[in-house]
Amino acid sequence: MGQAVLEVNDLTTKYITRFREDIYAVDHVSLRVEEGKTLGIAGESGCGKSTLALSLMGYYFPPLHYVSGEIILNGRKITGMKPDEIRKTALGTEIAYIPQAAMNALNPTQKVINFIEDVILAHNPTQDKKDIYELARASFEVLGLPASVLHKYPVELSGGMKQRTVIAVSVILRPTVLIADEPSSALDVTSQKMVIKMLKGLMENGFIKAMIFITHELPLLYNVADDIMVMYAGQIVEKATAKQAVFDPLHPYSKGLMGSIIVPESGLRSVKLTAIPGAPPNLKKPPAGCRFAERCKYVQPECKVTYVPLYDAGNGRAYRCILSEKTLREAYQHGW
Amino acid sequence: MRHTLRQIFRSGKFVVGFSIFMMILLIVIVYPLVVTHPPLEIIGQGTFFPPGIYVSTYDAINAPTTYMLNLTDAAAKRVANKLKNEDRLAMKEWMVAAGVPESEIDIADTESLLTLWKRHYDPNKRMEGMTFARLRYYQRVNAAIEGLLSTEAAIIAAKNRETGALEEVSAVKQTDYVNISEVANVRVLALGTDNFGRDVLTELVRATGVSLQIGFVAGLIATLIGLTLGLLAGYIGGLVDDVIMFFTNLFTVIPGFVLLILISFSIGQDKRGAFTIATVIGLTSWVWTTRAVRAQVMSLRNRDHVNLSKLSGHSIPYIILTDILPYIASYVVMALILQISSGILAEAGLSILGLGPRTTEVPTLGLMMNWAMIYQAPILGKWWAYLPVLVTIALITFSMNLMNTGLDQVFNPALRD
Amino acid sequence: MKGYRKYFLTKLAWFAITFVFAFVLNFTLPRLMPGDPVAAIVARQAQGISNPIGVQAIYQQYTELFGTNKPIIEQFFIYVKNVLGGDFGFSFSQYPRTVVDVIRASILWTVCLQFPAIIVGWLIGNTLGALAAYLKGGFDKVLMPISIFVSNFPAFGMAVILMVIFGVTLKWFPTSGGYGYDLIPSFDWKFIRSVIVHYQLPFWSIVLIAIGGQAIGMRAMSIYELNADYVKYSRFMGIKDSTIVRYVFRNAMLPQITGLALSIGTMVGGALVAEIVFSYPGLGTTLLTAVMGQDYPLISFATLIITIMVLSATFIIEILYGVIDPRIKAAQAE
Repeated sequence: MGQAVLEVNDLTTKYITRFREDIYAVDHVSLRVEEGKTLGIAGESGCGKSTLALSLMGYYFPPLHYVSGEIILNGRKITGMKPDEIRKTALGTEIAYIPQAAMNALNPTQKVINFIEDVILAHNPTQDKKDIYELARASFEVLGLPASVLHKYPVELSGGMKQRTVIAVSVILRPTVLIADEPSSALDVTSQKMVIKMLKGLMENGFIKAMIFITHELPLLYNVADDIMVMYAGQIVEKATAKQAVFDPLHPYSKGLMGSIIVPESGLRSVKLTAIPGAPPNLKKPPAGCRFAERCKYVQPECKVTYVPLYDAGNGRAYRCILSEKTLREAYQHGW
Repeated sequence: MRHTLRQIFRSGKFVVGFSIFMMILLIVIVYPLVVTHPPLEIIGQGTFFPPGIYVSTYDAINAPTTYMLNLTDAAAKRVANKLKNEDRLAMKEWMVAAGVPESEIDIADTESLLTLWKRHYDPNKRMEGMTFARLRYYQRVNAAIEGLLSTEAAIIAAKNRETGALEEVSAVKQTDYVNISEVANVRVLALGTDNFGRDVLTELVRATGVSLQIGFVAGLIATLIGLTLGLLAGYIGGLVDDVIMFFTNLFTVIPGFVLLILISFSIGQDKRGAFTIATVIGLTSWVWTTRAVRAQVMSLRNRDHVNLSKLSGHSIPYIILTDILPYIASYVVMALILQISSGILAEAGLSILGLGPRTTEVPTLGLMMNWAMIYQAPILGKWWAYLPVLVTIALITFSMNLMNTGLDQVFNPALRD
Repeated sequence: MKGYRKYFLTKLAWFAITFVFAFVLNFTLPRLMPGDPVAAIVARQAQGISNPIGVQAIYQQYTELFGTNKPIIEQFFIYVKNVLGGDFGFSFSQYPRTVVDVIRASILWTVCLQFPAIIVGWLIGNTLGALAAYLKGGFDKVLMPISIFVSNFPAFGMAVILMVIFGVTLKWFPTSGGYGYDLIPSFDWKFIRSVIVHYQLPFWSIVLIAIGGQAIGMRAMSIYELNADYVKYSRFMGIKDSTIVRYVFRNAMLPQITGLALSIGTMVGGALVAEIVFSYPGLGTTLLTAVMGQDYPLISFATLIITIMVLSATFIIEILYGVIDPRIKAAQAE
């Protein structure tokens, strides 16, 4: 096992709605990201994967609230630290984030360089503006972005360029872990490819040490990630290597997600996750038993009433189903 | 639809606004059924009678039954009511000048003040430096006090038809009372009368009704024009859009009230009825609705269901009616509410300028305000002539805007909290 | 810079077009009245003026100015020619003063009263709205209903209430006029003091009206901006909250400038009525006397002047906006 840069144990966070209802969008999640690795998180929209991304940074503001669990970043426990300390010492410098809607992620009335100045000065108030410019220019050059971008307003950039600028800004402080939340979903195919190429290059160029990549597009995940975690209704339902998750999924939900992917990888095509009939449960009142039971082809009577834990299948593999590995594999091969 | 309505009525702001508005509407409808006086009838001889219950003195004396009530504080109340504060101060001044120690005189205690006064006052004594007018003033005060303190009945006399001499008809004792329900003529003027001597409350209710109608007609016209132009510009686009937007932009920049003034003046006093004014207001205030509707329609124009409808070969009117209108209905309702309330305000502003509806037939809130201003009610302190009007206008527009804010929060969740 | 020039020229062209259109409307509307407008105007006026020579003079002067016996196109050019020469005719109600003379006496009062008041109201309103959006809770819950109520309060109503409270009851300020009625305009201290005292009530009633509407708009804008994606991203990049608040309010403020340009017409309308309540010697009061005296030439010129004022204000605001907001330049440069 390599060096863990991010370790999350039993993390639970919730949203408090304006009607004072609690929604546990991240429910007892544990994960581990090692140096040099990319962890992929998959699931349909609303499964809590974006909330998980936000929760991992340890910096909460309403309506998201921390409930329990711990986050250890670079060997330092950041849960329980003062928000302002997290902001100063972790955000941007140790853990950084590329938002889902990168199109609007930059302040529209500010030039890119001014935003970079604000970011760097927020962590190091004494830094010289000239140095900041030099640093930004150098970073942009390595990442293949023209320096002229620095002096432009976001509206003056095209969609793909804006997204790549956001990525370059996110890694400007050389964070250890980068969380990319659907970074390419709103782009055209060419821009998508460039963005993915750029993300892959970040680790090689030493900008980051590890990455968490969140998407609902499985082929992309298989391309980018080393390990894959499948989320459903706020819980992890399966952890595996990318290869296992795609070619040998255990949880029926993972199977549903991955089942229709065509091999080999060059021919992988995008699969819509709504292929599984039904909708996820309402997290305001989650079911007592397995949360996937309502939609599961292989549902058992006890599934709906008993809590299903995450079973360890060895070698870092885990899945959340009362059926055995063997039963599941057989069911997938020969039908139910 | 039912779901939407339920959601709307869950919004506190909407419910408060709706309740206020419905109450106003209810009063406007029910009040004339109960109180049937003509609203513009001039009943008061004189201007600005204060609010209160007006009892006919003649009928009170001639009431069928007189009741005798022995109320211990009746005399004191009678004196207190008659003896103004300035009289008391004057009495004190006189007595101090006559040598009564100041500490003994308490002007708030009517009884002791009168005892002192009776003991010391001498109508013929003239203080040093006192003018003759002042001397007469004290004599008048004294006479009034004696009259008040006397326990004799007031004599009612009538002229004998033949001789012309006064003959006693009856006597009104201090302990005589009438039951107000047995008095033939009692008029409640809850808000007094205005400068023309008209019952303000009755006038106000009628004016509210008329102003609401003006607002409604103006709002309806403006919304219909705005909706039509907005739909055409937004859905058809191209040249139609350009032309419509050209005029919309023009009328956005040219202030609406300038047009309103020019048109109202050009129409001339004789032809300016309430309905005409409403039409003119409607014709000069459609630009905002046009802009809003156009923006909404443009965002809908390329939605899947509209494209599907186009592919199915439906006609443009059909698509607009079935695929566009239902989606912008909530915006149109909100725009209508705003237009109604701004129509009411526009009428009021116009009337204050003297360009309101002609004054002979119906009152409007603006006209009432105009009259109150011309006769200087605010400066004279006749609050009942203008304050109720202002409060009514404010309540109407406030309630409508509350409803709108409520609707806005239901339909635009981003604005919540 | 190229983008900005294009923006400027577009706005300038719009200004010119709107002006011409407003001018044409000003010319056309009274002529839509049935019959001979000059005859109608003078007939209405005839009872008002006891001096028959004056009536005759006005009639002739107007026939000349309007050129009513000629075709309408020609009339228009005659009118334009006269107007270019600064000839707007005599005022009916204040004959033999000319219309230009009457307006010249009142325009400065209006400009000095309304524009500062609207700008102050705008600034205070935006600050309050931004605070309501940012602080939320109690402040918001108290401020918002008040703002909604105040912004829906008719302009003249606010003026009347201020007048009754501070003028009639408390007697802090005079209730009418632009300066003491016993003074002659001059530049001595006594006169200036009187002007300042008389200025307060009309000024604050206009400010109050402007505050309400602006506060509501700014609050909505700020809430929208506070939920914008860049706020979330900036937070996760470790930027301080104070810096983010600066972004948000700057961005929310910018559309409010356009909002001001669009609503300045309505505001001026309300403010004119407030002038009337206080008998302030500005355009509003002049307009009222013109209406009362059926003084058409005066109404026509006053409305034209008001239109020009509003148009210019809008134009200036939009030009400034183009300088401040980078999005405008970028949008034009594409």
